[in-house]
Amino acid sequence: MNCETCQLKELLVVPTEIQDVLRCILHTIIFHRALGLVRPKDVECEHFELTYVRCGDHEIEKKIDEKIDQFIGWVEKHPNRKGQVCLSFYEVKNKHATWFGNKIERLYWEQWYINLHVLNPKSHGKSHYTKAPISTGENASEESSSRHAALESSLCEVLFQIIRFADEKKDHIPTVQNSEIISFPFEISTPSSSDSSFGWHADVLKRMLQTGHPSMLS
Amino acid sequence: MASPSESDRKIITRFLHKTLHAVVASRVPRLHHAAAGPASPKNDRWFHLALDDHSSPADHHGAVVDPLVFDILLTRRGCSDVIVERWTARCVPPAPWSAASPHHPHDGSFLRRTYKKCTILLRSIYTLLRLLPVHRIFRLLCSSSQPYNYDLCHKVLSFAAPFSRAQEAELKQYSFAPVETMLGHLVVSVQYRPSLTNFNLEVSLPTPPLIITDYVGSPAADPMRPFPSSLPDRMSHPIVYQYPSRGIRTVAAPSFDRPHSWNSASMVHHPLSSAPGPPDSELLPGHYGHLVPNQRSSMERKGSSGFGEFKLSPPCSTSPSPSPPTRVGNSQLSRLHSETSPVSIPLPATENNQMHRSPNFSDPFKSLFPPPSPRSTRTDLSFRESPSKSISFRKPDGFSLGDIHSNLHMHAAYKVIKDGRDDSGRFSALSSGGSPGYGFSSSSRQSIQDDLDDEDFSYPFAFDDVDTSDSQTRSLDGKEASENSGSHKSQEAAVGILVHMLKTAAPLRQDQSCSMQSLEPNGEASISSSVMSRKACDALEELQSYKEMKNLLLSKSGAKLQDSVKQRKESSETLS
Repeated sequence: MNCETCQLKELLVVPTEIQDVLRCILHTIIFHRALGLVRPKDVECEHFELTYVRCGDHEIEKKIDEKIDQFIGWVEKHPNRKGQVCLSFYEVKNKHATWFGNKIERLYWEQWYINLHVLNPKSHGKSHYTKAPISTGENASEESSSRHAALESSLCEVLFQIIRFADEKKDHIPTVQNSEIISFPFEISTPSSSDSSFGWHADVLKRMLQTGHPSMLS
Repeated sequence: MASPSESDRKIITRFLHKTLHAVVASRVPRLHHAAAGPASPKNDRWFHLALDDHSSPADHHGAVVDPLVFDILLTRRGCSDVIVERWTARCVPPAPWSAASPHHPHDGSFLRRTYKKCTILLRSIYTLLRLLPVHRIFRLLCSSSQPYNYDLCHKVLSFAAPFSRAQEAELKQYSFAPVETMLGHLVVSVQYRPSLTNFNLEVSLPTPPLIITDYVGSPAADPMRPFPSSLPDRMSHPIVYQYPSRGIRTVAAPSFDRPHSWNSASMVHHPLSSAPGPPDSELLPGHYGHLVPNQRSSMERKGSSGFGEFKLSPPCSTSPSPSPPTRVGNSQLSRLHSETSPVSIPLPATENNQMHRSPNFSDPFKSLFPPPSPRSTRTDLSFRESPSKSISFRKPDGFSLGDIHSNLHMHAAYKVIKDGRDDSGRFSALSSGGSPGYGFSSSSRQSIQDDLDDEDFSYPFAFDDVDTSDSQTRSLDGKEASENSGSHKSQEAAVGILVHMLKTAAPLRQDQSCSMQSLEPNGEASISSSVMSRKACDALEELQSYKEMKNLLLSKSGAKLQDSVKQRKESSETLS
């Protein structure tokens, strides 16, 4: 089974917008893959005029919020850096027992990469993104509002991207074998706090070894 | 067990219905506000997507291959409807000559796969519905209580005329990936307006308040304006009310045709008689029962209240300042007064009578009574024990009808002396606007109570026990005073006896009842004059008795003095 991968469009965010953006994207993806009996719940974004849909399961919401907090913690320690959150759906397959115990193998059949470029409003000197001197006063507020509007438009595009991908790619989805809301197990990966750029790549390599399949870029 | 094709048909039919349900639920505010119907687990199971039942549209009864088109229209006031979204869902059968026509296995796996894909497709449709621009309008209409100049509605069609080129240029299209079924490909697409900024969508201004200048009862209104005949039938209790410059009017319900005698002369001296009265034509029986709203509106115009149960009144003035009618809740008085002609009993100008100083038209009952006294607020007597039992209304704030009645005994004469125009203590006590006795309907007692609960309610005949000055000197019987004048007690004892006599004076009840029954068109002046004369005689007799007492005391004291002087002389002579 191929692992379908979707690299979502990079979003330029400030720390205060991270939670809203990640909640919107993660819940939208999970709603498409929650094939159990769902009573959808409409949620309006806090910072954007967008409405997204949640499954209505508290456990899922709790798990998502925990991962978002982890990512925010990493951002605080690594300001003005690009970060990536990965949502992976997998199947569990037991392997034979080894010397060190039973090894549980995960077969990832779908991965979603959420790319965020976090801007620190207190950044001094030149902006990493625009490589231009930071303006002050009225210009700063205008830039902020234009950046916010652009982010809202980009976020909408990302949601369209999710819909299109989820709609077009259905054949790789495994058979539903339970009646739970979340029909397939998933995990959310964030950059580790003690991580360097090398460490982030190590996570990707580790995942590749677990799946046994090369990552396929969409 | 159903055949695969039947199962497929059922899946397709259910999918179309569910799609329509999802679209309507997120686009039509009217259905969103509708009360939710009972939960339907059976419908929820389909595609594992539970939607609100109150927005469930009718099932699609057409053929599976018939397209389902639902337009979302934006309706605006004064403008034509505009299609802002068009959803199209249909099952496209494969071309018979197409080589791509698959041979699907009949083991059910294909059916399960179809069902799974339909489930995912529905979730995509549900998510996309929230991303399109129209959803923002839907949210505004659902969440805000303000009225807008636009609304959203929908149309379900099996066939829709294609858009013109100009229209298509304004629309964007999004088509979902088709889902393969045994009967064809399930295709869902949407054409939508990417921007709604061209439409002037705003909160509609509220309707400006309309000022009705010719409301019934207004000075500008036609006083002869008839009222609808749907007056309530609870007019069994006659109501007597006072009418400025027209005297007392009585009503004997249920007869509306009973003639009345109106006396305008008796009200000339009334303090409120300066208010313009209605034309005589209003007093005709023909207008009987027609002017209840008029009167009520005039009351309201003056800020009065409590006429909610004022069911029947004779025609009254529509002038700006008619005196408010009052009601007495006992039919006996009503009947009694129905036999009499209208008599005006102006309010005597007393210190305790605030109504003369500042008649309060905001409350019809306020204006009728003088201010209460502390003592009278604590007394609790039943007014219904009065001989006539004609006036009965509930005690407001500690007052009772008995308070009124007891004070009547004490102050009727006082008021008569103060104001020579009273005909009876009872009616003068009740009237401040010159209103005589009133007929109250029992149904209006509660409203009366509400009015009377007002703090400013003026309790009639209020006086203080401690104040034994003028108020107690006018109810004496002259004969009793003269009998005591010959006592040989000291001056202090005489005064004490006088006070005792005043306190234990007989009530004027008999006098009042007699005066009530003798109400005639011209009885007011005669009664007042007789009472005046009687009281004057008593006063004169009292004065004479006091003089005699004084002279007696002086004479005695003088005699004693002379005796003492003589004795001293004699003693001095003997000593010398």
